[in-house]
Amino acid sequence: MTDEADLTEVQEAQPLSQTALAARAALSEVAPVPGVAKPDPILIADSIRRNFGGIAAVDVDHLEVQRGSITALIGPNGAGKTTFFNLVTGFDKPSEGEWSFDGRSMHGVSPHKMAALGMVRTFQLTKSLTKLSVIENMKLGATDQRGERWWNGLLPWIWRKQEAEIEERSDELLGRFKLDHMRDEYAGSLSGGQRKLLEMARALMTNPSLVMLDEPMAGVNPALKQSLNRHVRGLRDEGMTVLFVEHDMDMVHDISDWVIVMAEGRLIAEGTPDQISSNPDVIDAYLGSHQGQSLLEDE
Amino acid sequence: MDWSLILSNTFRQMVGTDAMYFAIAALGLNVQFGYTGLLNFGQAGFMAAGGYGLGMTAWYFSISLWWGIPIAIVYALILGLLMGIPTLRLRSDYLAIVTIAAAEIIRLVVRSVRFKEQFGGTDGIGEFAGPFREVGSNLGIEQGNKYGFWVFEYTGRQFWTLIVGWILVAIFGFVVYLLMRSPWGRVLKAIREDEDAVRSLGKNVYSYKMQSLLFGGVVGAFAGMMLALDRGNVQPDNYSRDLTFYILTALVLGGLAKVSGSIVGPMLYWGVYVFIEGVLRGMTSDGPLQIGGVTIIQSTQVGQVQLMMVGAGLIALMTFRPQGLFGNREEMAFDDR
Amino acid sequence: MNVLKSRAVRVVFVLVTLLGVGLGGTSAHAQDSEYFIQAQVKEQQRDENGRPDNQPVVGVTITVTAPDGSEVGSAATDDKGVALIPVPAKGDYVVRLDESTLPEGQTIAATSNAEQVINESTFRTNRQIINFFTGESQRVEQSFFSRAAQRVADGIRFGLIIAMCSVGLSLIFGTTGLTNFAHGEMVTFGAMMAYLLNVRGLAFVSFLAFLPFIDDVGRFHILLATPLAVAIGGGFGYALDRFGFARLRRKGVGLISQMVITVGLSIILKNLFLFFFGGRRKPYRDYTLQEGLNLGPITITPRDLIVMLLSFVVLMAVALTLQLTRLGKATRAVSDNVDLASATGIDTSRVIRQIWVAGGALAALGGVFFGLDEQVGFDMGTQLLFLMFAGITLGGLGSAYGALVGGFAVGLFVETSTLFGVPTELKTAPALLILILVLLVRPQGILGRAQRVG
Repeated sequence: MTDEADLTEVQEAQPLSQTALAARAALSEVAPVPGVAKPDPILIADSIRRNFGGIAAVDVDHLEVQRGSITALIGPNGAGKTTFFNLVTGFDKPSEGEWSFDGRSMHGVSPHKMAALGMVRTFQLTKSLTKLSVIENMKLGATDQRGERWWNGLLPWIWRKQEAEIEERSDELLGRFKLDHMRDEYAGSLSGGQRKLLEMARALMTNPSLVMLDEPMAGVNPALKQSLNRHVRGLRDEGMTVLFVEHDMDMVHDISDWVIVMAEGRLIAEGTPDQISSNPDVIDAYLGSHQGQSLLEDE
Repeated sequence: MDWSLILSNTFRQMVGTDAMYFAIAALGLNVQFGYTGLLNFGQAGFMAAGGYGLGMTAWYFSISLWWGIPIAIVYALILGLLMGIPTLRLRSDYLAIVTIAAAEIIRLVVRSVRFKEQFGGTDGIGEFAGPFREVGSNLGIEQGNKYGFWVFEYTGRQFWTLIVGWILVAIFGFVVYLLMRSPWGRVLKAIREDEDAVRSLGKNVYSYKMQSLLFGGVVGAFAGMMLALDRGNVQPDNYSRDLTFYILTALVLGGLAKVSGSIVGPMLYWGVYVFIEGVLRGMTSDGPLQIGGVTIIQSTQVGQVQLMMVGAGLIALMTFRPQGLFGNREEMAFDDR
Repeated sequence: MNVLKSRAVRVVFVLVTLLGVGLGGTSAHAQDSEYFIQAQVKEQQRDENGRPDNQPVVGVTITVTAPDGSEVGSAATDDKGVALIPVPAKGDYVVRLDESTLPEGQTIAATSNAEQVINESTFRTNRQIINFFTGESQRVEQSFFSRAAQRVADGIRFGLIIAMCSVGLSLIFGTTGLTNFAHGEMVTFGAMMAYLLNVRGLAFVSFLAFLPFIDDVGRFHILLATPLAVAIGGGFGYALDRFGFARLRRKGVGLISQMVITVGLSIILKNLFLFFFGGRRKPYRDYTLQEGLNLGPITITPRDLIVMLLSFVVLMAVALTLQLTRLGKATRAVSDNVDLASATGIDTSRVIRQIWVAGGALAALGGVFFGLDEQVGFDMGTQLLFLMFAGITLGGLGSAYGALVGGFAVGLFVETSTLFGVPTELKTAPALLILILVLLVRPQGILGRAQRVG
């Protein structure tokens, strides 16, 4: 039902928003070379390496992500994109390396602290909390809840007011993501695409400044993809930075301001979507592992 | 076979002391396992912490019984930290392994000759429950008299323990109910579903798991205290490894992740357990039960048969009705991973 | 489905009857006896006020022989220090306490005797009580070195047994992710099966008595009973997977549920053993009473020496199988990464089945060896379980070599811990310390690899 509505809604081409234009302008001066410095980086990674049984799954010398932009991280399967995500968000520990978020070193910081500092992520395999209702999923995302201290749990009057505010914000976000009609259903009863939306909406409950999406389009039907695209753009327009891993080249081309390409754990190219689609290194990398498949062909 | 005796025993046991302390222990285990997904296989260890916390007051510390309550809580907290710190960052099996091991070692230590001075060895510790029973008699419950009605008749001593025990069940039941409806409970339930998701939302999963383990452990210690007060002594073999598993069976029977489940489950468990015992004892009271000259069961083997049925019941529940007898499969709060 | 079910029922039935026919008789026999010799072993101690305060001595083997030297029965003292040995009638008997089974540092007290005689005339009631008193060792204090050598030798023996029992536990975890809390009972199962064949015997095979190792009431010599018990143990592992866990996996039952199911299985099996076997520890018929050989500072019975050598050979064979054979490589591949293994054409469910069989067989062998060392009891494997867990955690959960190394190390550590002041009765406690330290410092164990996230 929602899916059909979205389909008709997004048929017309969307003009670039002010923030999009600003992001692209800021990046227009940046040279398209791997590891290049950005004018205003929010995330900086230095010599991050992760070995699995002697094989370097990730080996990134230098990487910067421009604040206020939508940056895509692409590469053939096994390029180390998800591992890189895990490393940067603290879900995995690098064998060596340093990285900083918003000017703060994140080395050895636990994942929940990073999330609390404003770097929130989603997962390739959606992690909806299936036995919790949709609204409970949303409310869980809010940070600094007084009722999350156990002794306060016994004293509802301490947290009831805050809970009401959180619920209001959750409902507002659910409405925006067109999940309000599922509000009281178990998250387990949502479709795959709806779960992706829920996970993204839930992540926004933490008020992040950097949103990291791991394959937001995987398993989502084409109609819902457009709606997701729009939501991702909306994040940037609200001042957030988006870094996402994606295989869907249409989406990458459509919405990203900047593209970073990884292959075999290394950074092999960076640039605007146009620069990347004509970059011979990138085509080689994809040809190497995809046997003749065109870069811009949908997988 | 005396069916009226069997049935009256069954009903009496459903609200008896065993069901009572099982219910308290099950409430604690439910917070850990049912709501948070923590495999605490050492609830017996927490119960021992409670029992010995009380028992050691007069025996070893030479202080009033009432100090035993804070001592027991401190024991349970130390035990929980010991079990939790190394394991709660790791996958869930490690907690199961460490808790089962810790409970076993606790039993070995308290029954050892080396620590007999502290824990009383295999004989355990007795004669500490006096002050507790005195409160009962001061309230007019005479230890020797009979109290209750119909089949529910108890001696004054049991009656007083039962009143205190079931009040504790009600209190802990209400506390757990409140907690699980609070944002704190929401975090625990979310951890059971997927702890990485919770972590990615900025919650300190390790800390919440620890809180859950400690909370359930302290509740378990209260179960151990009630057991000790009922028996009038603490004995190492009352806190065997398998006790945890029986409580787990009772909990699964009633339904995980429901407050009612942890109270109704133990009642049913003990009802069924005593009923089976009555029937088997009835069948073997005039010598071994024989079919075609082959001895099927003798009166000394009744206990083993009962426990085999407990094990079989646990397997059957987990396989066919993981939501418990009354749960609805849709709402089954137990996530299969 | 129905076929499977009825077959499952039949297999269980056969196993149960097998147990029943075998063990039920023995325990009934013990309880049918009207006359007992009740040996009580006490350690002489005095409390602060100098009053006698005797402590029971646990696990001491008491043997009763008839005047003609034939053995009537033997038992180990329980936790009250009491061993109850049924005898056929009032009569003359010799009751002997096996001094090698006394706890570290204790000897028979000067006022007592390791061998006491009972006359028919003194056998008044149907239960004759005999007391043995022990005290602190009066012998010259052994040097630390010689005590250490003895403990190390015992530790190696114990470590080899734990390693053998643990392989299956670790590999099942590695390939299916399941922590099997009934694995201890698989160890007991093996010991019980050997007991059934060796002590109780199968009357219907008595016609085979012309063969070596089988006597005329159908009892098998331990040398034959052991391989048979190992085969039955393998079959038990097969049945558990085929009719149990394989079906649960297919049904999509989660790992945590499966783990709880193994707990239920453990309760059933333990009580089944207790039902048929009784609560007392009982020895096998062969090689029970042996003089220790003095090898330098070490005293060891030929039986234990051979058990050690055999364990070592078996473990080497396991390691070589894993390293060299197709099955071994497939096993390692599956425990490394199930999806990858099945993508490369390995039939994972077959490999898992084979692991259950091999794990069951090894656990059974470990059980027989453990039973030879310390007699057979219904809860012998349960007591080993936690040491096995400590071992495989130390070695690396899921790694076969890790189980070998870790199990061995834990056995050695536990036995030698008494050298450093740990009381014998608490010698397993330091294993918990190992477990906790490993988890804090290197949770993947010595040989395990860190798990890949996400």
